[in-house]
Amino acid sequence: MNVDCKLKLLEFLPDGEFQHVRILDAELCRKCDAVLCLTLCPSAVFRWNYQHETEPPVLVYYRQCIECGACRLICPKNNIEFCYPNGGFGVTFKDGISVYLRPYTPPEMP
Amino acid sequence: MLKDWFAGVKKGTSQEIIAEKYYTTAVKKYDAIIAGAGPAGATAAYFMAREGMDVLLLERGPYPGAKTCGGSSIIAEHVHKLFPNFWEELEYERLISHQAYWIMTEDDAIQIAYRSTRLSDAPYNRFSVRRVKLYEWLVKKATAAGATVRFNHHVSEILYEGNQAVGVRISKPQDCIYVANIIILADGANSLLAEKAGLSRRVSAHDLSLYAKETIALPAEVIEERFSLPAGHGAIIGLIGYPTAGFNGTASIHTFRTSININVGLAVADIAQAGITPHDLIDRLKAHQYIKPLIKDGITTEYGANVIPEGGYFSIPELVHPGSMIIGDAASLVNGVHGFSLAMWSGFFAAQAASKAKKHRDFSVKFLRLYQQLLDESFVMQDLRANAPQAKWLRDVPYFFDLYSRVANEAAYHITKVYTIPKKAKRHYIFKKITSMQPIGKMLKDAWSFLKVIR
Repeated sequence: MNVDCKLKLLEFLPDGEFQHVRILDAELCRKCDAVLCLTLCPSAVFRWNYQHETEPPVLVYYRQCIECGACRLICPKNNIEFCYPNGGFGVTFKDGISVYLRPYTPPEMP
Repeated sequence: MLKDWFAGVKKGTSQEIIAEKYYTTAVKKYDAIIAGAGPAGATAAYFMAREGMDVLLLERGPYPGAKTCGGSSIIAEHVHKLFPNFWEELEYERLISHQAYWIMTEDDAIQIAYRSTRLSDAPYNRFSVRRVKLYEWLVKKATAAGATVRFNHHVSEILYEGNQAVGVRISKPQDCIYVANIIILADGANSLLAEKAGLSRRVSAHDLSLYAKETIALPAEVIEERFSLPAGHGAIIGLIGYPTAGFNGTASIHTFRTSININVGLAVADIAQAGITPHDLIDRLKAHQYIKPLIKDGITTEYGANVIPEGGYFSIPELVHPGSMIIGDAASLVNGVHGFSLAMWSGFFAAQAASKAKKHRDFSVKFLRLYQQLLDESFVMQDLRANAPQAKWLRDVPYFFDLYSRVANEAAYHITKVYTIPKKAKRHYIFKKITSMQPIGKMLKDAWSFLKVIR
């Protein structure tokens, strides 16, 4: 199961007016040879932009952030600004309650 | 006249605005505001409200536990002392009667397990609980005792008058301020509030662990059969070695009524260095030959990640400030054995200090200092102090978990395998095999440092 499928299990209420994770200076990312954010993020918020010649090299998919806040600690250039989203927005964990209540049917054997 | 002009120019700093708003309009002043309705915050709210204080509990999520994932285990001894006979009210999942450690490599695993039905007699030892249920219960307790709870309220800033904390600012959409005599910060690991206000240092990437977690749904009977548990009993399995891909860290399996949690956690700095994503680490563990049969046919119902402070004693910031206290994960008051019970205790102690400060109508450090004193005298700090070098040791011996789980499994393999050589020669052979992995001197040195740290 890839991470995009896993994130489908969660509920998000993205804030269209406020981006809570952002990259301060795109030029610094261009020079960065570590790009630790790409592998660290558990919900793949940071993605490499293949059109990085003309556009910012790291894309921030802040709408799928699960708000752990680890990214701000590892950026070698301190270039990631993270704060929690405004009240009521962002991810909500339901502990799979909606899925759980479904009766279990074991898959049929071939 | 010049004075008035100066005052007009100076206006606009946040302190001025709050002072004006607070003195001119009839803003309600609470006895205490708690930022964050987690185990620490809700416990503090409950005990303060019980002391007759006017408490406002602010939570940024739409319901308790909205921002935390999966489940956890709750330790009966601690929680029973704070909330007597809590198991009659709290909807728990399973009684833990099986605790195990698996020291794993790719091919093999040494499984050390202890199981006892004595653990399931009252007073119990551990329960597994879903965090959503636990937080909801705690917040309900707090509101029943008289605390006010507001959800969807994100505290973005602490407001000061001089160096005395006097209120909090709520970010949009409310965009308002609340004022109180005491501000309690319970906003979790990675406390941005305390950092912004300059109450604590920026947490280091070595002192914070990132845990990725997956919830896998399975019917209750299947869980009991696979872990060979009596009905209603649960298991906690700590996994060492293989799951953390060569770094120091832990993984675990927790059982719930109709689901299993699998989580893997490493220090943030390590996970960045490893170049493997947290979700891939989970998938890698799930594909291991001894884990796969446990979760066969299960449906993944949730995925999440969280950070947990693991810096130990040395990463605890100054806890008491004029008009404010830091509790729970925000103050790095967690450890591996007691889990969030320490956070609940810190909430309880903070409540004691707050009620004393209220009685004396003095909200400076003088009476709030009681919180620090109670914490220092309790077992909480004693344990944390005893394990203080642990975080540093984990950095100094970065290969410990990986190498020694390999060494142990290699030894176990050769001991188990029957050779057609004399016993004495076999012993010599095993010794040679192991010391070829790590020289005996270094091994003894590491063992000694390990013993010194865990004492």
